[in-house]
Amino acid sequence: MKTLEQVLNEKIKGLYYGPRVILPFVVDILKVVIDDDIITDFSPLSEIAYYEKQDNFTEIYFFEHKDILKDVSKYEVIKMIVVEEGDDMFDLDNHKKIALNPIEHHLLEISKLDDDVIFIE
Amino acid sequence: MKKMKLIFLTILVGILTNSALFAASEEATHQLPETYMVIPFVLLLLMIATGPLFYQHFWEHHYPKVAMVLGIITIVYYLAVLHDSHSLLHTFAEYLSFIALLASLFVASGGILINIDKKSTPLVNVALLLFGAVIANIIGTTGASMLLIRPYIKINRKRIKAYHIVFFIFLISNIGGALTPIGDPPLFLGFLRGINFFWFLEHGWYIWLPTVILLLIIFFIIDSRNVIDDDPAQYTGKIEFKGMKSVGYLAVILISVFIDPAVIPWVPSLAPLPIGIREIIMFAVVYLAYKGADEEILKANEFDFEPIKEVAYLFIGIFATMIPALQLIAHEAHVLGEQLNAGVFYWSTGLLSGFLDNAPTYLNFLSAAMGKFGLDINDMQQVHQLSIEHVTYLQAISIGAVFFGAMTYIGNGPNFMVKSISERSGIETPSFFAYWFKFAIPILIPVFAIVWFVFFKGA
Repeated sequence: MKTLEQVLNEKIKGLYYGPRVILPFVVDILKVVIDDDIITDFSPLSEIAYYEKQDNFTEIYFFEHKDILKDVSKYEVIKMIVVEEGDDMFDLDNHKKIALNPIEHHLLEISKLDDDVIFIE
Repeated sequence: MKKMKLIFLTILVGILTNSALFAASEEATHQLPETYMVIPFVLLLLMIATGPLFYQHFWEHHYPKVAMVLGIITIVYYLAVLHDSHSLLHTFAEYLSFIALLASLFVASGGILINIDKKSTPLVNVALLLFGAVIANIIGTTGASMLLIRPYIKINRKRIKAYHIVFFIFLISNIGGALTPIGDPPLFLGFLRGINFFWFLEHGWYIWLPTVILLLIIFFIIDSRNVIDDDPAQYTGKIEFKGMKSVGYLAVILISVFIDPAVIPWVPSLAPLPIGIREIIMFAVVYLAYKGADEEILKANEFDFEPIKEVAYLFIGIFATMIPALQLIAHEAHVLGEQLNAGVFYWSTGLLSGFLDNAPTYLNFLSAAMGKFGLDINDMQQVHQLSIEHVTYLQAISIGAVFFGAMTYIGNGPNFMVKSISERSGIETPSFFAYWFKFAIPILIPVFAIVWFVFFKGA
């Protein structure tokens, strides 16, 4: 299993298919902003988004976004606050802000969120 | 969606042809619409208010269709029942002018990045809001909003709450711009009709200043209760500014505002086309400013056309459906003109500007005030005469139209864009109703009542 740090350093890409996003590390997701949707409800009853941690990846379903590439425009990214598996969620220093940029061929660039981009936790 | 656009375009081409053929009958008076034709407008307002709350999925995917269908109902009624293409063409021209200004300011300011590395304190926020209110008179409420919303959010990122965004909309997106014709579109329309450029500053500053100060005091009190004491971050106090090319485009937009046959006589009118040289320049700026902007800045600003698309779609519906409402109001205002005092003009212009577009509302009440004194709004000399002889009436209409735009998200173009940019930054903004009940009514109405009591009661 890759850590978030490894994925960022090695510039490993994630994947997306329709509304499904696959991240090559295991994290808990606290908040997501995709387009103008602010998502904090990931419960099984949520009609907006759901995520599940697998052995070596995390998958997220954005039910409202059937085509992520179309919904996230050229200069936008999907913004996320995540906590790596095993880290203390209640220590705010472990809350990592990452940016996901969907590109062609179902690939997803993953990077640390640029300091210039505003994302309020 | 494509079909809907095609229907809309076909109708527009029809109106244009019709209007060109019958240009000579432009001045013909048309029959008033039936009162029930206000229903599409009311329905659209209700859906804008309830959609994001109760049927978000449907609304997010279908709001352009809803706005267009309701707009088409009104258009078909005017063409088939009233045989009045002139009102439609006139409104379409106003819409194009509105969207050209908004879109060009939106795109040009999207190419500018301001970073202020300061600790967020109530005083810093007050200074920023005051600065925004002042420059709203130089680059317009839209320009000031687009330029400052991101640095404002960034400064406050550690303690930002809904009220920060709401006061930004109050002061920078609306009330601030009451001192010059560039500040807010209704005042610009007044300027085009014959009011001196500096009239609004001369007769508005002593209403503007106490209102702005009062709102800043209220903001300061609220903001002082939301301070983080143990912020370990180090701040340099530096202000970084990137995107000078886009500043040049902003200047082009501001200059182009004056490129109008009513201001500069040698500027050709493109009538019966619903567009002028000014709008052509502004649309050209949209293209050039976007293509020429620094990619890094666009990325940092997360530039996206969606907020302006949302405004364009919703407001095409609002502009079309509000035609009957505005005509009925104008008629009533003329009938009742004799009995209306400045206070009534203030509240009527204001309250209607909160829900209708404030530019045509302003013109209708200006026309009613002119009628009250036996003057004609189409005569620039007579408009000028009103601005000298009946200052209080013009103040009431001007202040009402600009200030009350802050009452709802749809009161003024930039309100929606500020909301959208804030949401994309992860900030939960108040719903249409929450904005109204938690902020606009408890804060703005008492402030506006004080303005009325001091300046317009019994006038």
